[in-house]
Amino acid sequence: MAAKAKRPTRRRRRRIYHRRKVCRFCADSSLVIDYKEPRALKYFITERGKIIPRRITGTCAKHQRALTLAIKRARIVALLPFVGTIEA
Amino acid sequence: MRRYETIVILDPDLSEENRTAFSDRVKEIIPKFEGVLLTEDVWGNRRLAYEINKKPRGFYIRYDYCGLGALVNELERSFRIDDRVMRYMTVVLDKDADLDSLLAEMKSSDQPTAAEEKAPETKTETEKKQAEEPAQESAARSEAAEPDSEPEAAAKTPAGDTETIKEDE
Repeated sequence: MAAKAKRPTRRRRRRIYHRRKVCRFCADSSLVIDYKEPRALKYFITERGKIIPRRITGTCAKHQRALTLAIKRARIVALLPFVGTIEA
Repeated sequence: MRRYETIVILDPDLSEENRTAFSDRVKEIIPKFEGVLLTEDVWGNRRLAYEINKKPRGFYIRYDYCGLGALVNELERSFRIDDRVMRYMTVVLDKDADLDSLLAEMKSSDQPTAAEEKAPETKTETEKKQAEEPAQESAARSEAAEPDSEPEAAAKTPAGDTETIKEDE
């Protein structure tokens, strides 16, 4: 990718914008991933209740793992839905 | 010893005495298996994210305790038998918990002297930086001396705290 940016080839002219996403949990160490806080975890699930991939949220691998575990735990104790309603 | 955390969701329609009977039962089982209950955290009636047993609400209780696997087995066995329990989940918080220090911590957090436990390390670490930052040093000092008697000291404590965190890393 970096090499391509240096000498742009004529064939592939699509411009790719890269906005470096940073992991929120790495940026702010005071944030703790806890399954008991569904409000904090809500940001990382879709309306349907699916876990949002890290390529979209920008979370680092380590924290995504912790996040996944927390979301799954929260689902067990009914703090987060397994299947969310599309309306809500 | 291990430190566990169990979340129990009880039937929301239970009477008050039925609920206390349940928590008494838990408090009875824990010492029987040489466990120690650290906190009982009653969250109360909450909306569930999905219905359990056709009920949209549940009564949450969180138990924080130390013990061994046998205790967890027994607790969960009793939860499974008990009709009042709609859902439970146990999580290991610490695989090698030091009970004495935990109890000491609990005791200190009950009283306002909690800051005193932190104070010694704050002091020694800031003393290293004495030459560079005399202001923060004094802030930490006043915190160590009188935790929350002076409003001035209280206002300065955040600075002292962040200082120690930085140095820990």
